[in-house]
Amino acid sequence: MNNAIEVENLTKYYDKFLAVDHVNFTVKQGEIFGFLGPNGAGKTTTQRMLTTLLTPTEGRILINGHDLARDSYPAKQQIGLVPEESNVYTELTAWDNLMFTASIYRVPRGERAKRAQELLETFGLWEKRAIKAENFSKGMRRRLSIAMAIIHKPSLLFLDEPTPGLDTQSIRAIWKLIRSMNAEGTTVFVTTHQIEEANQLCDRVAIISHGKIAAIDTPERLKANFRRAQSVEVAFEGEMAEKSPGLESMPGVTTQVKVGDKLRLYTDDPSALLPRIVQYAESHALRIVSLNTLGPSLEDVFLEITGGQVGIVTNEIQENNPRRKGMGGRK
Amino acid sequence: MNIERIKNELAQAWTVAVKDVRVYYLRPGMIMFGFAMPFFMFFSFSVQREMGAAEGVARLLAMTVFFTAGAAGPFIIPTERRIGTYDRLLAAPMSLMTLLLGKTAVGTIFAVAVSGVALLAGLLFFGTTILQPGLLAAGILLGAFSFSTLGLVFGSMPTTNPGDVQMPSTLLRWGLLFISGVFIPLGEMAPAARAIAYLSPLTYAQDVMNHAVLGKGLINPWLDLAVLALSGALFLWPSIKMHQRARVLGR
Ligand SMILES: Nc1ncnc2c1ncn2[C@@H]1O[C@H](COP(=O)(O)OP(=O)(O)O)[C@@H](O)[C@H]1O
Ligand SMILES: [Mg+2]
Repeated sequence: MNNAIEVENLTKYYDKFLAVDHVNFTVKQGEIFGFLGPNGAGKTTTQRMLTTLLTPTEGRILINGHDLARDSYPAKQQIGLVPEESNVYTELTAWDNLMFTASIYRVPRGERAKRAQELLETFGLWEKRAIKAENFSKGMRRRLSIAMAIIHKPSLLFLDEPTPGLDTQSIRAIWKLIRSMNAEGTTVFVTTHQIEEANQLCDRVAIISHGKIAAIDTPERLKANFRRAQSVEVAFEGEMAEKSPGLESMPGVTTQVKVGDKLRLYTDDPSALLPRIVQYAESHALRIVSLNTLGPSLEDVFLEITGGQVGIVTNEIQENNPRRKGMGGRK
Repeated sequence: MNIERIKNELAQAWTVAVKDVRVYYLRPGMIMFGFAMPFFMFFSFSVQREMGAAEGVARLLAMTVFFTAGAAGPFIIPTERRIGTYDRLLAAPMSLMTLLLGKTAVGTIFAVAVSGVALLAGLLFFGTTILQPGLLAAGILLGAFSFSTLGLVFGSMPTTNPGDVQMPSTLLRWGLLFISGVFIPLGEMAPAARAIAYLSPLTYAQDVMNHAVLGKGLINPWLDLAVLALSGALFLWPSIKMHQRARVLGR
């Protein structure tokens, strides 16, 4: 059996800027493969090369065994593509958008209406089929754009960050659809910057950072690496963080970083650390203003995996990624 | 390429054209640059010269074909690149040539339709008779094809902003208008000017209209038609090159 995707030394320079740097990976048929990385990592660039929209500077791409550089036609027939921006024709109705795509992909004439109806029903758009897409919400456009991408029953589906900015209901619906298509045999390649999405959906995940793949593994095995990137954040009333001696040498703490008026203590066992901090506060007569445990941020994971130093966290990642399991302002 | 594949590609080109007609024909940009422009130009430049009705109709037809056919390409492709719908077409299982032919058809159909309006206006208001209707039809069709692929050259520039290409394409079209024997008949031009005029496909379109409407022209009408067809095919080449360039640049 062929691999769905085989990539060798894939490289892309935009002028002199190296966006994707000699990347190698394979995606097996029937897999849900996640491409996980922060903004600017090179996910979209990679996916655009895999879907013939961008010419690689170097390297080879096989889609179901077909070399894209030689003849992209058979590969294009088997690919479905959901880009980052929902690219529906806003001037056309949902129905006409689907009919247009079905015709472009040469879906047999007799099947077009049936498939369009099925998809519209699946995506909760059947009632809205005669409405122009310009009147659709973001979530509806996204759903329509996915429906358009799969009306020709592709064996390989690409989705570029399918869920950011959508409501929870739409996100669940999209995940559900990805799973059910996969259960029927579709290979899925999905890019995301959310660990949780990769975790929930993917059989295997490649982590990409600065155009390089840092790790490829199952989410479970990757999470073993994530563990050391967990942390507890604490703020004491009045006291500057530096003036809390001994916290760093507390058992279980690997690194201590000051973040604003808080102290962040990295640990692989936050639940064991929490009572110790409370104890510490009591014995030093400090009032705890806040105490939170943080899941690993994506950036932390990269640093962990690529051997960098844990705790150098950029602002953007700090705001977006740590999943706070807040215990709130304990007094 | 087998027969089945060719049939598919033709159907795809047609699908693209029909979709564009539905989506873009009523856009202000198209109406402005395609529909209003030739009539505006015609009336503003024609009142100055003493001119017979038949000459006026031949000129109006040439200008109409020229402006309408070239209006679609520079507008539609950058717009679709910007909103991302162009990716859908580029990723679809059809050749780049098929896509470009579909886009060419959009401008061609637009030009043929608006020329029909211009012709009707000519017949009704000027009472002109058309001496060679067959030649007129061929001239309109091949002229529309040539100017549509010329417009596509601008549309193919690697940009996502229609404004970037609207300017150069309008400049070129105005320039061609003045060197192509539309306002000054070819026969009245100085030899140097006429040599330049022969480089412009519009010259041949104007000449074929003169043959069809007035029954007189300076060039063999078959040569006119051949030049229009050939230049139309030639203009596809830079478009293909620029599409390949865009795929390298990532725009
Ligand atoms: N067309 C382009 N020209 C120049 N640089 C680009 C282009 N597209 C993307 N880049 C740059 O390449 C890097 C990777 O971008 P991208 O693949 O879009 O990342 P991601 O999808 O992971 O957020 C970014 O630094 C981005 O600014
Ligand atoms: Mg991206």
